[in-house]
Amino acid sequence: MSDTGVLSDEALMQSSAPCGLLKTDHLGAVLVANERLGLWLGLSSSDLCGTPLTQLFSKASRIVFETSIVPLLSLSGQVDGASLDLVNSEGTKTPVLLSAAVSGSGESSVTTFVFLLADARRAFERDLAKAKVEAETQLSSSQREGELREQFIAILGHDLRNPLASISSAMNILSRETLSDKNKRIVTLTRGSIQRMSLLIDNIMDFARNRLGGGINLTLSEGSALENEIEQVVAELRSVHPDRDVLLDLGNADDVKCDVPRLGQLLSNLLGNAITHGDPKRPIHVVARKSADNFFELSVKNFGPPIPPSAMERLFDPFVRSDNHGDQMGLGLGLHIASEIAKAHDGSLDVQSTDSHTIFTLRIPQG
Amino acid sequence: MSALERHNVKTSGSGARSLVFAHGFGCDQSMWRHVAPHFEDRFTVVTFDHIGAGGSDSKAYDPAKYATLNGYAADVVEIAEELDIQDGIFVGHSVSAMIGALSNVARPDIFSTLILVGPSPRYVDDADYEGGFSADDIDDLLASLEENPLAWSASMAPMIVGNPDQPEHGEELAQSICKLDPDIATGFARATFTSDNRDDLPNVTARTLILQCRNDIIASERVGAYVRDKIPGSQLVMLNASGHCPNLTAPEEVIAAIRDFV
Repeated sequence: MSDTGVLSDEALMQSSAPCGLLKTDHLGAVLVANERLGLWLGLSSSDLCGTPLTQLFSKASRIVFETSIVPLLSLSGQVDGASLDLVNSEGTKTPVLLSAAVSGSGESSVTTFVFLLADARRAFERDLAKAKVEAETQLSSSQREGELREQFIAILGHDLRNPLASISSAMNILSRETLSDKNKRIVTLTRGSIQRMSLLIDNIMDFARNRLGGGINLTLSEGSALENEIEQVVAELRSVHPDRDVLLDLGNADDVKCDVPRLGQLLSNLLGNAITHGDPKRPIHVVARKSADNFFELSVKNFGPPIPPSAMERLFDPFVRSDNHGDQMGLGLGLHIASEIAKAHDGSLDVQSTDSHTIFTLRIPQG
Repeated sequence: MSALERHNVKTSGSGARSLVFAHGFGCDQSMWRHVAPHFEDRFTVVTFDHIGAGGSDSKAYDPAKYATLNGYAADVVEIAEELDIQDGIFVGHSVSAMIGALSNVARPDIFSTLILVGPSPRYVDDADYEGGFSADDIDDLLASLEENPLAWSASMAPMIVGNPDQPEHGEELAQSICKLDPDIATGFARATFTSDNRDDLPNVTARTLILQCRNDIIASERVGAYVRDKIPGSQLVMLNASGHCPNLTAPEEVIAAIRDFV
């Protein structure tokens, strides 16, 4: 290291620089120090000469100096901005930032130290460290709360299933009796409500599970079960909405690699959406087919009013609900869960909405 | 991950006996760079980083395991087992002197020779024992490390050596010198400076050499003598070097003393 630019001992001692300055020999004894440093320590700068540098530090800082600063100085020749406490003869500490550089080598090596007062900076760092701890504590407690809430939802959903299953089988028994037209209508309406509620519960539980980090798990199968499932979902919808026209165009949906009950759930969600938003006087089209580019496609089309562009952006986010269907409002999870199911299949769920119709299309890659 | 990877273990040299160098609090294995290479002609030389230091895997840090020096001694045993060391020599600086002593008490078969550089079985004064620090001093140290992680890490951060001649590479070479993970530094300091291993010293069975410096405020001559008196048959060699890090400030003396003993 060159000595160019290093203060002469005399200049250093008389320096009025706004910092403490000193030089030590290879054993760490002070060779010279400036007056300002002496002022901080309550010593004349000549008193400082010959003193081991470590004695100017608090005990804690001596440990840091000996175990960390000395090795760094020895190995890399310099240290920048280490945080230490100087201490005067009365034990009063002065927080400082220390930078140092070694020049020369062996027994003729000299180390120059610069000390800057660091009270304010130290206080700032302490506040920063405290704020970090507080923020972390707060974050982890809200995370815990969120987890509890989602566990609660998952348990609630699970517990709602059993009574709903009882009501459902009661309705099945009733529907096999000879009923008046009025009672038949009541049974149909009730079954529709059961179906909607069951779908809601499934969606809520999937949502909670997803948030708890479980994700949507798929059980993939290959076979003709998908065609059955689609037919059944459509038939159920027709049975509870006899006034609505649902057209099914079932192309070749055999040997589609997918989770069959999950695609059933997705279709139920899309059909629920179409029932709510579609024109009740016009049909809902369901088309299932394999595309030329080797995708399985499932689309649901309704003739409802176009989805406003403002709603388009957040359509698949959870808890998004339209404003103009007060009586039919769900939780706003249906499209979200449908899109999560599509993602779990490495597929996509897209929407096209024009003045004439709205169509949701699922695409799942095959092979 | 193997212990060898976790601890950034480096082996060099050749020889039937292994010579393991362990660094203390505040630095990493670069602490031994002026000493270790001089033994490669006769020994298999091993250097490593304690968890949190140098190139070790900080993710392996477990506050419960490393609450006492026994956790660090367990690591030494694990490294030695993976290297199949028996009848080896352990050279421990500063807190690693006690870590070596503990690993010898736990597994006497691994190291038959211990060289303790600046050892201290207890840093805090006790009734008739002078460790050099009061409990308040150590509390002060731990509080300052805890309160001031930014400044600590600033001085301990690896030096970044850019390559201004080839900016197109955009690569920065991080050179680790005395790197210590600031989140782990406090825990390591607590385990080190609140340790009391005085009762373990009589159980050390290895042939032991103590290397003592002058004016060492971390481990005084009095403490060195205490260690010599408690470890059966141990020898103490007084170095001319001053301070706590003779492996850096007076490597020739340290090399000569180790050579004489082994």
